[in-house]
Amino acid sequence: MRVGIVGCGKIADGHAEQLRAIGRAQLVAACDREPLMAEQFSQRWGGLAQYADMAEMVLAERLDVVHVATPPDSHVALACSALEMGCHVFVEKPFAMDGAGARRIIDCANAVGRKVGVNYLYNFETPALELGRLLADGDLGEVVHVETCYGYNLAGDYGIAVMSDPAHWVHRLPGKLFHNVIDHVLAKVVPMLAEPVVVWADARRMRPASGDAVVDAMPDELRLLLRDRDGRTVSVMVGSHARPIGHAMKVYGTRDTVELDYAARTLVRSARQDQPSAVGRLFPAWVQAWRFARCGMRNLGAFGRHEFHYFQCMRVLLDRFYDAIEGRGDDPVPQAEILRVAAIIDGIVDALAPRP
Amino acid sequence: MKVLLTGAGGFLGRCVAHSLLEAGVDDLRLHFRGAPPGNLLDALRRRHPDARIEASAANLLYACDLPALVNGVECIVHAAAGMRGSAADMFANTVVGTRNLLDAAAVEGVRRVVMVGSFSVYRTEGLARGAVHDESVPIEAVGIEKGAYAHAKTRQEHLLAEYRARFGFETVVLRPGVIYGPGGGAFSSRVGIRAMGLFFSLGRGAELPLTYVENCADAVARATLHGVDGRAYNVVDDDLPSCGQYLRGYQARVGRLRVLPVPYWLFLLGARCLVRYHRVSKGQLPAVFTPYVVRSMYRPLRHSNAALKALGWRQRVPTQAGLARTFQALSGTPP
Repeated sequence: MRVGIVGCGKIADGHAEQLRAIGRAQLVAACDREPLMAEQFSQRWGGLAQYADMAEMVLAERLDVVHVATPPDSHVALACSALEMGCHVFVEKPFAMDGAGARRIIDCANAVGRKVGVNYLYNFETPALELGRLLADGDLGEVVHVETCYGYNLAGDYGIAVMSDPAHWVHRLPGKLFHNVIDHVLAKVVPMLAEPVVVWADARRMRPASGDAVVDAMPDELRLLLRDRDGRTVSVMVGSHARPIGHAMKVYGTRDTVELDYAARTLVRSARQDQPSAVGRLFPAWVQAWRFARCGMRNLGAFGRHEFHYFQCMRVLLDRFYDAIEGRGDDPVPQAEILRVAAIIDGIVDALAPRP
Repeated sequence: MKVLLTGAGGFLGRCVAHSLLEAGVDDLRLHFRGAPPGNLLDALRRRHPDARIEASAANLLYACDLPALVNGVECIVHAAAGMRGSAADMFANTVVGTRNLLDAAAVEGVRRVVMVGSFSVYRTEGLARGAVHDESVPIEAVGIEKGAYAHAKTRQEHLLAEYRARFGFETVVLRPGVIYGPGGGAFSSRVGIRAMGLFFSLGRGAELPLTYVENCADAVARATLHGVDGRAYNVVDDDLPSCGQYLRGYQARVGRLRVLPVPYWLFLLGARCLVRYHRVSKGQLPAVFTPYVVRSMYRPLRHSNAALKALGWRQRVPTQAGLARTFQALSGTPP
């Protein structure tokens, strides 16, 4: 398969690297409205053809797949255009600016009979896949509640870019800073929730004012509570101020509870006090230590097998997406889940909108 | 002559502003990406009450903001560049920003462009051990083998040459070695890197091409006013220490490190292994050190500042004093 990437910013490197790694498709072209950006990407990835117009790239290079890695307000137009030109499309998150946009892309894909994927990569981390198996096998019983946190480092390279530039595209998103990451959080929990989902949201700015109205309008702390039809709840913290920067999820089930740390790639069952009295409190720390040690050993094994890349999860996701294109599997992220994530984001944006 | 200084809020830029005014520039526009840092403007105006000093905020990535930035300017001193972030970010902030600036400069009729380049653009791989590294060494065609920063800075220089040919700007390029001083980083990767609780000493006996930030700023100012059109100037100080001497000075004045010396041959061998592992593991570890990088950056060379001296530049802060001030700042003790 011949692949082209549109949008030659930072995340395009992740796509290119993992495409190379899975070896299922040949990256042949890069497109960016800024010719210098297409040039640098092309040079760094071994002399790809360079374009400033996606349609021209698709036609000239006879592409089978287009990866869309541009700012989100361009996703609907680019994805639909590529689909209508006969390409399968893999879209960077956020999939669209809102639910209506997400629906347009999916309807377009279905109308032309092409596959559309989205980079909801964290469900494809090794421990997240293990969690999926535990849930499917009923090892946790019925899910009662989920807690999840996602840290956003405003002092990091990306954070600085957002904070120092009122014209950065993040400020144009309806949900601003959170809109750029919240689908990572929601994509993890949506499969555990039944429709309809009620959303409660609260956001605020904790950092001092910068004096720039646009930058200061951006909240940096978000709290969510989701409740589904059956009373299952999800509490979410997306924050910029808690240290260390976390990315974790705890799933409480009627049989067992597990904690998944996406950054450390560990999945451990929560400690259980099986013995009475003070003795009962003596064992859990050692049991947990042993469980973490086993995670560490597994990770070491994965490293030895070269399966511990920083973007390993994206590698798995792309492999499955290309399987789906070749008719060898289902969509790795079902269309219904993409739409449900988009609908909840709409609900969050609505909940956070200023009221008269 | 009205001079625009881009990147005036940066580590080097702040000092360049002072040096330009000291050198006699009396009409200076300072470019900042956001708000000017601290009391920089007040300090400059206090020391140079007769000079006209303006501040102008603009993001060089937005071309529409730049005509106003360069309006009325005769000379641009371009010190802004992307120093951190991803390869794409660094390239955008260095090369796309420069292209936008030069486009605006061409329209506004700017006469002269002085650019702060980098040592990283030189194609030094072929130099013999102990050879003199001066401006006669050719620059890279692309520079991609030496990493994202070198790639961006190399493209930036080629871009300046293209615009010089198209629009007839006078151009001067300053190529500083390792700029250091209070407020800067402790270690250039030429000296070594910290990892796993150790400091891997890489440069060892190789000469470290240091330039104290105020000396470098003086060089930029000197070249702005007197630099020969079309020329490039290396910027290094006199009495350069070796990487090992710098490291020993750091340990004596700032703090002890658990140092692991890496001989050149072992470093080269390790770089070969890393590249091989990177390929076999499909990128599980990044190939930050390649044999090309090791041969280009870690082979012992001697560095010349003769061209800069011929221009009239003299080192204001002696190397020993510069090192003492830097180590004092790094150790957190008050001056």
